[in-house]
Amino acid sequence: MPHVLMPAHAAETVKLQFMYPVGVSGDINTIISGMIDEFNATHDGIVVEAIYAGSYDNTEQKVITSLGVGEPPSLWLPINSSLQTFLGLDALEDITEQAKSDDIYDDFIGGFLGTAISNDRLYGLSFQPSTPVLYYNKDAFAQAGIPEAPETWDQLFETAKALTVRDGDELKRWGLIIGGGWHDWMFEGYCRQNGLVPWEQDKVLWDRPESVEALAFWKTMVDAGCMAPASTWQGSANDFMAGSTAMLYHSTGSLTNLRTSSPFEVGVAFMPKRKTWGASQGGGPIMIAKNQSDAQKEAAYTFARWMTNTENQAAWSRATGYLAVRKSSWEMPEMQEYLVEVPQAKVAMEQSAYSGAFLQVPAYSKAREVLKSAIDRTLAGEVEVEAALASATDEVNREIARVMRRQQRG
Amino acid sequence: MSQNLVRTQRKEMLLAYALLLPSLVFLAAFTYWPIVRSIWFSLHDVLLGDPDIYWLGAENYLRLLNDRLFWKVLGNTAFYTLTSVPLSIAAALLLAVALDSKLRGMAIYRSAFFYPVMIPSVAAGMVWVFLYAPGYGPINEALTGLGLPRLDWLYDSKWALPAIVIMSIWKYSGYFMLILLAALKLVPSDLHEAAKLDGISAWDRLIHITIPMISPTLYFVIIIGTLHSYQIFDYVYVMTQGGPADSTNVLTFYIYQNGFQYQDIGYASALANALLIFVLGLIGLVSLTLGRRVHYLGER
Amino acid sequence: MVLDTSVTPDIAAAPAAARRSGWRRALKGQWLHLIMLPLAFLWLCPLIWIAVTSLKTSAEVFDPAAGFFPAIPNFSNYPSTLSVAPFGKYLVNSIIVTSSILAGQLVTITLAAYAFARLNFPGKNVLFTLFLLQVMFPIYAIFLTNFVTLREMGLVNTIPAMIVPFVASGYGTFMLRQSFRQVPSELSDAARLDGCNHLEILWHVYLPLVQPTLIAFGIISVVTHWNDYMWPLLVTNSEDIRTLPIGLGLLAKADSGADWPRLMAGTTIVVSPLLVLFVIFQRRFIDSFMHTGVK
Repeated sequence: MPHVLMPAHAAETVKLQFMYPVGVSGDINTIISGMIDEFNATHDGIVVEAIYAGSYDNTEQKVITSLGVGEPPSLWLPINSSLQTFLGLDALEDITEQAKSDDIYDDFIGGFLGTAISNDRLYGLSFQPSTPVLYYNKDAFAQAGIPEAPETWDQLFETAKALTVRDGDELKRWGLIIGGGWHDWMFEGYCRQNGLVPWEQDKVLWDRPESVEALAFWKTMVDAGCMAPASTWQGSANDFMAGSTAMLYHSTGSLTNLRTSSPFEVGVAFMPKRKTWGASQGGGPIMIAKNQSDAQKEAAYTFARWMTNTENQAAWSRATGYLAVRKSSWEMPEMQEYLVEVPQAKVAMEQSAYSGAFLQVPAYSKAREVLKSAIDRTLAGEVEVEAALASATDEVNREIARVMRRQQRG
Repeated sequence: MSQNLVRTQRKEMLLAYALLLPSLVFLAAFTYWPIVRSIWFSLHDVLLGDPDIYWLGAENYLRLLNDRLFWKVLGNTAFYTLTSVPLSIAAALLLAVALDSKLRGMAIYRSAFFYPVMIPSVAAGMVWVFLYAPGYGPINEALTGLGLPRLDWLYDSKWALPAIVIMSIWKYSGYFMLILLAALKLVPSDLHEAAKLDGISAWDRLIHITIPMISPTLYFVIIIGTLHSYQIFDYVYVMTQGGPADSTNVLTFYIYQNGFQYQDIGYASALANALLIFVLGLIGLVSLTLGRRVHYLGER
Repeated sequence: MVLDTSVTPDIAAAPAAARRSGWRRALKGQWLHLIMLPLAFLWLCPLIWIAVTSLKTSAEVFDPAAGFFPAIPNFSNYPSTLSVAPFGKYLVNSIIVTSSILAGQLVTITLAAYAFARLNFPGKNVLFTLFLLQVMFPIYAIFLTNFVTLREMGLVNTIPAMIVPFVASGYGTFMLRQSFRQVPSELSDAARLDGCNHLEILWHVYLPLVQPTLIAFGIISVVTHWNDYMWPLLVTNSEDIRTLPIGLGLLAKADSGADWPRLMAGTTIVVSPLLVLFVIFQRRFIDSFMHTGVK
């Protein structure tokens, strides 16, 4: 842009607020600030203010609270499950046309792009996707003489049994822990591995035989004493690092932390399959507010587009362990080198070919809590598998119907 | 004469209202107005993020009566209050009495018991997640050392809530200790000396002199401890998110979940109002029973 | 009751009793240490763990083979924690917010507590209950309305947004009322006969006597608001006005398991000013009893 035009443009500077969570480690804050400084320095007429908003939950709440008073930020980065929640509030700008005339539909990896699509319309640019993967303690595997990570549910069960260590009644090491607090996310992966996406746009399908079978499998592992009946998200990562469990289901977002903080070699594998490989996408897209001026929308798209361009995605992925969303990013020499250096990242990347959006129903937060509770109570032996899932399905579907009725009134 | 009395009374009344005014202005804006709004919201369908609200009447309250989880949460809250409040206050009282002396080293003890209050709850919660780890956590190691069975603590729906109670004793005893210590300092020491000379045992002195003398503060601590225990949120939020199997879900967390996670402000308001009515009743009961037995030094 | 026991020590026995009681007291002190020392150690364990972990590398934290202490103290966790967010700025803001809240509270609660403790007026009990409502009503049920109110006042994303909702304190009023009622009324009667009005009595008689309570309240108020996380997170956006716990949140709210060494280093950084303040003030706290003349 010619320098002489600067004063005129400076008068029309568009200000954008961008609310984001920090999910992996504090350094992300510095990295994001750095990216935004670079954006502001290279884009005349746009000033982005980055606002750290806590966890994914906190971020969503902060955005929704500001939506309620009619002053949403221009962009935000929530978890992809919240798509229907924001659409229900009529808060999202439809960016399908812009994206189609751009290279978004061609270059974004399909599974990632899909997490921001509802009824064939695109409402965000995937920025930091993650999936659960199977982490395993390679030293423990070697000691037990197990050469490979399990590939099927049956193998998983056998391996977990073989790796469980007991001293009399006292448990020394579990075979497997499924990261608590997000175990509903892993559970959806199990349903997908069993050939079922356990939700549709307006209901959940946890009472289907495929889901029942998945939970019954968990129950078998718990009853056999090789899988912890419950855990917490932080606690389970610690357990793995401390050698209290030989295998762990956790987010790909944890890769860097687990890899660098564990005193043993960490293996990463696909989550074992039954009928097929399968996983649900965590992480989120950058969404753009509908309630703002056209100039702001345009600038917001420019910013979201820039954050997800080939170079930035490659750099972001290497720095954080999140997966780059663009095919072209993975073809860059830096990324090829990174994959040689950290082969575990490749596993996560390849698994994402079998992944889809996570529980994008209205009232998804409530749905998650109800499912987690049902799973916990089943594994603790308080209720039967089928009854637990049937009543959870019923409760959540009634809640979804209630929320949708309300949205239609609005 | 009586006209004079009336005038003094009126003057005293006006002065009292003037003294209350600064507090009332702020309370009106940031406590009473939200409560009024919450009563209004509880009669409506209110979605966080949506300015439109719809009349529901008593529906939110009827929902509450049929909400299985609500009753469980109420039970959890009652369990937490009935265990953590008496235990932390008893511990605090013993600590305060033990530390109410001019011996060397008392300053260190006071700091040692008070510092947990200062640790931000985010960090304290995380540290206790580590302490409670079933596999390698120091608490299980200690249990093994004592020949006791190991527990799964936060991973076990039977032990998760007791685990939070134990942690809260660590966190809050020092807090109550400090307040009680301030009260003990106001007890005239000659009373104790005299009783000691009469050969009265330390335990009897505690029961018959110390406790009656600090009864106003004890009363305050019991009421405040109870009210605060209903507000427990941070540890549940940081450590367990209400799980496993809702075993650590308590009322404030449930209100937060409904209002902010589920955006169901109407229902969250109904829950909050139900809690308020319940607590008001409880406080009324406490002040009618305990409050009458409080002995104020300054009043005859 | 024991309180009525008339004190008539045998004059001849008094010196011996005093000697014995002095000796006993020394013994009692020793005996107390036997209980208090292990108990204090137990209480301190988490703090020790925090301090030790803040000096470890992240691989050492959970390695069972690594031992309790780090092989080499890794002090670089501290600068590396400070680089995550502008902690210096956050520290200044935390000081401004907590001290403003405390200053406001001390004024409002002193006035209100005096009225409740020493004045008669219609509606006293109802008003007192109304003050307590603030402690009773769950904080998350008032967040939304207070956010809207502050926005209408134009205060969202300003430092006062973190202060004004907390200026009145039902808690502090209650605490101070209890102490005021402990002050012997003879003292205020005497002052009144000397011609002092209520405010003078409050200032010259009551406030000096309740110093311990004021300090105890002050410590608790500062600690509470120093560590507040959710409300500041909701009402602030700019780095310039944010407070310390938000910096800590960056290290704790991790998708990936916490960043232990740096979280613990951050905790140490956030707690240290409070700890120093407490050690100083608990000295004052004890000294203040000397000035009250009660003990």
